This record gives sequence, C-alpha cells and structure tokens, in this order.
Amino acid sequence: MNLTLKKTFLFFIFTMMSTHVGATGEMMKGKRHLPKIVNGWTRSETPRLIDSKNIFEYMNGAGELYLGYRFKHLEVFDYISKDQANILVELYYMETADDAFGLLSLDWGGESVYLADLPLEKSNKFLAAPTRALYGGGLLRLWSDHIYARIMAQHASAASKAAVLTLGRAIAARTKHPPVPELVKNLPYEIDSSWKLRTDRLTFLRSHLVLNSVYYISHENILNLDHSSQAVIAPFERTSGSDGLKRCQFLLVQYKNLDAARDALNQFHDAYLPDYAKGLTATSTNAGPGLFKLEDGWLAYKLLDNFVAMVFDGPDQESARTIIQENESNLLEKGGIHAK
Amino acid sequence: MQNKKPVLTRRDFIRGTIGVTLGASILGFKWPMEEAQAAGSSLVAVVRDKNALDSARNVDSAILEKMLAQTLIKVTGQKNTKDAWLTLVKPNDVIGLVPTSHLNPTHDEVVDVVKRSLRDAGIPKNQIRMAQGRPHHPKKCDALIALPSLKAHWLTGIGTVMKLYIMYSGRPSNYHQSDSAKLGEIWNLPFVKDKTKLVLVDSLYPLCDKGPQADPRYQWSYNGIIAGTDPVAVETVCLKIITEKRNAIRGESWPLTPPPICVEAADKVYGLGTSRMEQIRIEHYGWEKDLLL
Repeated sequence: MNLTLKKTFLFFIFTMMSTHVGATGEMMKGKRHLPKIVNGWTRSETPRLIDSKNIFEYMNGAGELYLGYRFKHLEVFDYISKDQANILVELYYMETADDAFGLLSLDWGGESVYLADLPLEKSNKFLAAPTRALYGGGLLRLWSDHIYARIMAQHASAASKAAVLTLGRAIAARTKHPPVPELVKNLPYEIDSSWKLRTDRLTFLRSHLVLNSVYYISHENILNLDHSSQAVIAPFERTSGSDGLKRCQFLLVQYKNLDAARDALNQFHDAYLPDYAKGLTATSTNAGPGLFKLEDGWLAYKLLDNFVAMVFDGPDQESARTIIQENESNLLEKGGIHAK
Repeated sequence: MQNKKPVLTRRDFIRGTIGVTLGASILGFKWPMEEAQAAGSSLVAVVRDKNALDSARNVDSAILEKMLAQTLIKVTGQKNTKDAWLTLVKPNDVIGLVPTSHLNPTHDEVVDVVKRSLRDAGIPKNQIRMAQGRPHHPKKCDALIALPSLKAHWLTGIGTVMKLYIMYSGRPSNYHQSDSAKLGEIWNLPFVKDKTKLVLVDSLYPLCDKGPQADPRYQWSYNGIIAGTDPVAVETVCLKIITEKRNAIRGESWPLTPPPICVEAADKVYGLGTSRMEQIRIEHYGWEKDLLL
C-alpha cells in the first residue's frame, strides 16, 4: 500500500516536473536577452508575463488585435532612469514569423531603421520599404523572427531614441530572419504597367477585426476568417490615365481547403450582395470572376481552389476583372493553385 | 430567412442606410424614429489655448482653469462660472466625475480643475466623487460630468464620448465588435439616463489613429476643451476633428475604419442627441491655428 502510494507520488512529481520543464522550455524557446542597463536606463529584474488569459487585464480591448493573430505570450519590461521618462519594452511571442510580420504590416509608416544583424528584405520586391523595423515619435516597432516588439519611450528625445534603438538591436541580434509570408509573395507588383501595388499599405492578417481596421467590410465575420486562414489586403493604384487617381482594394484569402473557401465566399455573397443572384463563381473555380456594379464601384470575386480573391472599389468592370485574372495567373505561376 | 438579422456592411455606409440597418439589427424590424430626439440645434463649445501644454506636454493648470471658465460660459450662456455650474447641477446634487483611464487617459489636471471649479461654485467637497467604473458608481450620483479624452479606437472607430460609460453596463465585452453600435443603450440605463449634465472632452493631446495602443505619431497638441450638453453632438464634433487630422496627416482622405457606427446609432436609434453637423452650432474661443473645424 505504502509502496503504491510512493510510486503514485513519485509519478505525480515526475509528471509535474516534466510539465513544468516543458512549459518553461516552451517559454524559453527563442527567448531574447535584453541588457540590464542601457544608456542610464535600468531594466526591471523580471518581465511581466501576459498570455491570452490575462491580456485584456493588461491592455483592455487592444488584446483582440494580438489574439487575432496566433499569439503565444507577451513579456513586458520597464526601463527606468533617474532623470528621464521610462522606456517600455513589449515582446510579443507569436506562433509563427508570419504572425509577427502581420503585426508590423498594420502600419508601414515611420522611419525605416536598419538594425545590425538584421538583413534588408532585398529579396522581396513586394515591399517598397525593405524594412523590419520602424521608428517614430519615440516608438520602435520591429519584426524579428516570431517576435513582434514595441519599444516606447514615454518622452522622445535624442537620448531615448539611442536607447530604444540599442534595445531594438539586442532583440534582433542572433536570430533567424525569415522572409515575408508566402501569401504576400503571391501578389503581383504591377499589372499591365497600369496598376501598381501599394506595398506601403499592405497588411497580412487572419481576423475580420484586423481587416476592418484596415478596410471595413462588415462588423460580422462574413468571410469566416480565423487562425486557420490567412489573408493579405493591399490597394492597387492606377499609374496611367488622366482621369485622376484610381485606387481599388485587393483582398486575397487562403483557407485551409476548398470547402472552407467556398463556404466563406457563399456566406460573403449572402451578406454583402443579398440583392444579387449568386453566379457560378461562388461555387465553382472554373468560371470567370463574379462582377457586380455596386454603389462605390465594381466588386469582383473569384474562388481559386482554397483561395478567394476579391477586388473592391474597381473603377470599371474591365479593371476589376483584370486584377482578379492577373492574381490568378500569379497564383498559377507560383504553384499556389493548379490549372483546371 | 425572413427574420434573419440584417448584417451591417460597407454598402450601408455608402448608401447612407446605416440607420435603417442598425435599427433593424439592434431593435428588430421596428424602425425607431419615434424614439429619436426631435431635431434641434445643439451647441458645442471648442476652447483652445496654445500655451495650455508646454513643449514637454506639461499642463498649465492656470490656463486650463481659464479655458474651463470660458467653456462653461459658452455652453450655458451665463456670465460667470458659478452661475454656469448652477444651471447644470443643483447645489445638493451628488456629482460624479467620469474620466477615462485607458488609451490616452484624461489628464489629471483636467479632473482637478473641474473639481476645484465645482467647489468654487459652492458644491461641497463630499458631494463630488470619482464615478468611473462599475454600475454602483452612477447609481450613487444625481449628476454626472463626463470627462473623456479625444481619441480614435480600433474596434469602435472613435472611443471618446459614447464609449466612456462602457463599464456602467457591467459587461463591457458585450459592446465590442459588431455590438459597439449599442453603446448608446448604456446611456439609457435607468441609473444613467438624464444624469449627464455636461460632456467635457479633454482635447489637450488627442489620438487620431485607432491604436489599439497609443502611437505617438498620431498624437498632437490640440490644446483644447470640447464641451456641450448633447453627448452625440460633442462626439460628432470630436469625430470631425479626428477625421480632419487624419486627412491632414496622409494628405488624402483617410476615413476611420471601422466606421464609428455608435455615433449615428446614438442619434437615430437611441435618441441621445444629434449626429448631424448641420444641427450643431459650434462656439469657438481662443487659439485658431489648425482648428480642424
């Protein structure tokens, strides 16, 4: 009896230790080591740890943004100085580098910063600003492997900027630098020399809340976006013609399979176009794009295997059709979809 | 299918049918026009001083006090601060001050100057309390002074006036996402309704992008107070300023997204005031530069 109890106890202890080591190991994986002192600012001993359970206590509704991506946990450090305002460091550990990229892609504004050890995205012609770090007003945002970081000086100054950049370099040092998400690479940079992709407005996302914060479609999740899907949205701008600037939004969503893509497109049509009959395009990948003249221009959509491609605000039918078709060709060329 | 809840989409905004869809979506298929406030002119005061903040963004409380006095005079038409307050509140009212503590918080100096001004008007200190938070706070008050700060919000478009009382609902998460349109219903809760005597927006250092966390590139020294007794009209003026600032930053139209449906809903569904600029009279005083109105 005693032996049984002892065995049970030892098994319990072993299990607890394994679980703890596993959890700690998971937390330690890819962990960044920040300097204790930077130009007169001193780091708090241990970070505050935030996960999906307590993220709303830390940042209220802002937590929805990070949960809209594949968020693992957040480490928060305070750097304190005797005579200068604090610097806040937030390290968002994401499940994939794509998710960390997505967070940076929400806003390409600010001064591009080239941190040591951090290669430019030269291989990717789709990003006009070949950057992984952006600074402005005391805030540095950066994407480093599966980490998205925000480093903010409460009061911007030359001294705080130097400290913020030093911290950025420490975060980005000795890490992998994965390329931009594959989905982003599927977008054509130019179409027929007349449409150009606005890479400085390109956003990678997985959530309708994030989509709405970039380009509003509906308060409901009518495209069924979730963590199993990924999407990229960016405007195309017409580079030729004399009738003023023309811009339309292009959205490409990749679902886990064809059924999920078809269901999402059907749901979108029912909610967004209740006054239009559903054509072949909402159910078939073989037909041409669905084209609809709406209040703000032409809308086009097409099911492309497990992708849904959409154009909003097209200035005319032909432009909307062309943008869909060029993206389809690009996907075919890059192996994203297969010819029927 | 007939009873399926209508989905609010981009097309409703383009077509101008947001009110209809919102009404149907929120209240069923009963169009709530009869509940909407009768059309009338609402006054909103915008008072600014270029020295309200210094270069390090410290607030000059003496200047702020003068700005508050001007604001009260503009809003009430009275000749002095004491008379102005006494047209808004009764001397025996328990008065709750409701600032915001999240994402661009209300400056402490704004709260302090309002407290002092109320005391100077003869309101006893023990009748002035902080009333942000859970529902028991407004329940203990006879009058509320709303003290939000001017800011955009990534889930609701604007996060200034209508969103200020979200904690009074006791279930704030119910007003995120698509249900942000219903923020106005909180103002009609029995223990909130008709208690708001003044909406005074701290517009010293607004935030014009949605966040979700404050980004200093989208904050600027507006050095103002925006106030009125019609919460929807005040929010509408705030919205105009934020929109104009965003357009100026980008050099092109940069509308808030998602669109701030709670403002139009507050007008057309909940009858809390007017969201129509043509029905709002703006009284400006002080610094003119970059007024954005």
